[in-house]
Amino acid sequence: MRPEEIREKANSVFQEVFKDPNLQIQDAMSAKDVEKWDSLNHLVMISSIEEAFGIKIKLKELIAMKNVGDLLKTIATKVS
Amino acid sequence: MVSALEQSLVTYRDKNAFYIREQYYSYGALQERAQAISSYLNLHNTSRLPVGVIGYDAFETYAAIIGIMLSGAAYVPIHPANPMDRNTSIIEQSELCFVFAPNTSYSFEHLIDISKTKVITVADLSSASFERNHIISPNDIAYILFTSGSTGVPKGVPITHHNLESFIDSFFALGYELNSNDRFLQMFDITFDLSVMSYLVPLLKGACAYTVPFDSVKYMFIYELLENHKLTFTLMVPSILSYLRPYFSEIELPELKYSLFCGEALYADITQEWKRCIPNAKVQNVYGPTEATIFCMTYDCSDVLKENNGMVCIGNPMKNCDILIVDEESKPTNAKGELCLGGPQVTQGYLKNEEKNASSFFMYNEARYYRTGDLAYADKDGEILYAGRKDYQVKVMGGFRVELSEIEHHVRVYTSISGVAAVAVPNAMGISQIFLFVEQLNKEVSEVIDYLKTQMPEYMIPAAIHSLVAFPLNSNGKTDRKELEKMIQHAAK
Repeated sequence: MRPEEIREKANSVFQEVFKDPNLQIQDAMSAKDVEKWDSLNHLVMISSIEEAFGIKIKLKELIAMKNVGDLLKTIATKVS
Repeated sequence: MVSALEQSLVTYRDKNAFYIREQYYSYGALQERAQAISSYLNLHNTSRLPVGVIGYDAFETYAAIIGIMLSGAAYVPIHPANPMDRNTSIIEQSELCFVFAPNTSYSFEHLIDISKTKVITVADLSSASFERNHIISPNDIAYILFTSGSTGVPKGVPITHHNLESFIDSFFALGYELNSNDRFLQMFDITFDLSVMSYLVPLLKGACAYTVPFDSVKYMFIYELLENHKLTFTLMVPSILSYLRPYFSEIELPELKYSLFCGEALYADITQEWKRCIPNAKVQNVYGPTEATIFCMTYDCSDVLKENNGMVCIGNPMKNCDILIVDEESKPTNAKGELCLGGPQVTQGYLKNEEKNASSFFMYNEARYYRTGDLAYADKDGEILYAGRKDYQVKVMGGFRVELSEIEHHVRVYTSISGVAAVAVPNAMGISQIFLFVEQLNKEVSEVIDYLKTQMPEYMIPAAIHSLVAFPLNSNGKTDRKELEKMIQHAAK
């Protein structure tokens, strides 16, 4: 899967989870930048990403991620 | 207690008191800022009126709390996510003269009406030495916390130094082995009284408290602290476990010595699974409302857990707590009834709220008791089992009394899912109907209903079952039942 495809697919997951059709993910974006990004939506977002890409992200990988860019990189290593 | 705190600041000068946003702060640094605050208050708050603190996750927030305590005034936390109206009500009710904000990176203009209340930035205060020139009396107030009132106006719960010292005495009487090398989790917003144990106990022991910002993804942040900093003592709300449960097989925390749970019902099945992640820790379920100072009952979770409807036993009263279980006529009963608490941890009463005080406190055998609104009963060994909130005991069609926790229990047993919540919402006719929420329901709704029909009378069967990925949490990290009720009300419109 090409990086742009990953980004695009992840972007639609974010738009759906955070209920914002105009949301555009950025590499540096993290929970503090998105108003609705709380514990509940984080959990929903991770499980939606896992489902959309058919992957499983481990807890240690999750805590190592500091922003959306890290998440996209993790997805890329798992889908390839 | 304040003297012991002052002693700690000197004795452990070079040790770390806090770890906040990836930075350590020493006891020496804490003393320096706390003294700047207390000497300022000594000059400008001579009548020692209560002082506000905006609860951002910052070093200066804790320095303000300690500084206010040293000055002999009470602190009143203000939540940074509260609307201004609620804060104004808190400020007016507690007659705050000042509010402290941490430093210039945190704004407060949207939280406090600055035309009426003076806000002081802690980081801007000049260093100053402070010598306490008065004795703090046991009846002086240490802090006032506000809980939501049924009328929409927040209720103030003043906790005196005597209340707080009684808690500390009860706490250490439990025999925890703690020293200045321990590392404590402080996951609570300072508007929630479990925060007081989480920063005060480590400070009294020369240990370090690791804090969690209110606007973080809390369960991830907490796990990261547990894993990376090898925390040794944690007090958490049980909801954190529900969020971490999918990852339990990856979690191993051998350094954790004590794992305490408080704030909402702890479920037996998830507790047993959690114990496998923390092989060397003692797990305790602790219980208590803000009105009885932090917590006042404890239960050690050994291999076999006592439970009622899946909810772990709350055990026995601590050293400075008396309990009484009463029936509808406020007479002691051996059956299930309302749990009432007495003893020196119990508050003198709500702030300026005579009506509520008259209904919440009563005398029995010359002792004063607080009605918790929780249902409980004693088992044959005299240990106390929690049986849900009195408010969860609802009356449905035909006046049948229903225990919502019982419905939840049957669903938990059938689905093996711990995230189950039943709510009662009045319909357009004003008749309460029961709705059930389940986290990631793994069965057909009709299967669940059919099973429930084999276990309970028809009037207890939920009108609908909704599956959610996870439950919404309130600012204290507990399952937000009001939000669940709103989902039903919203859908009905």
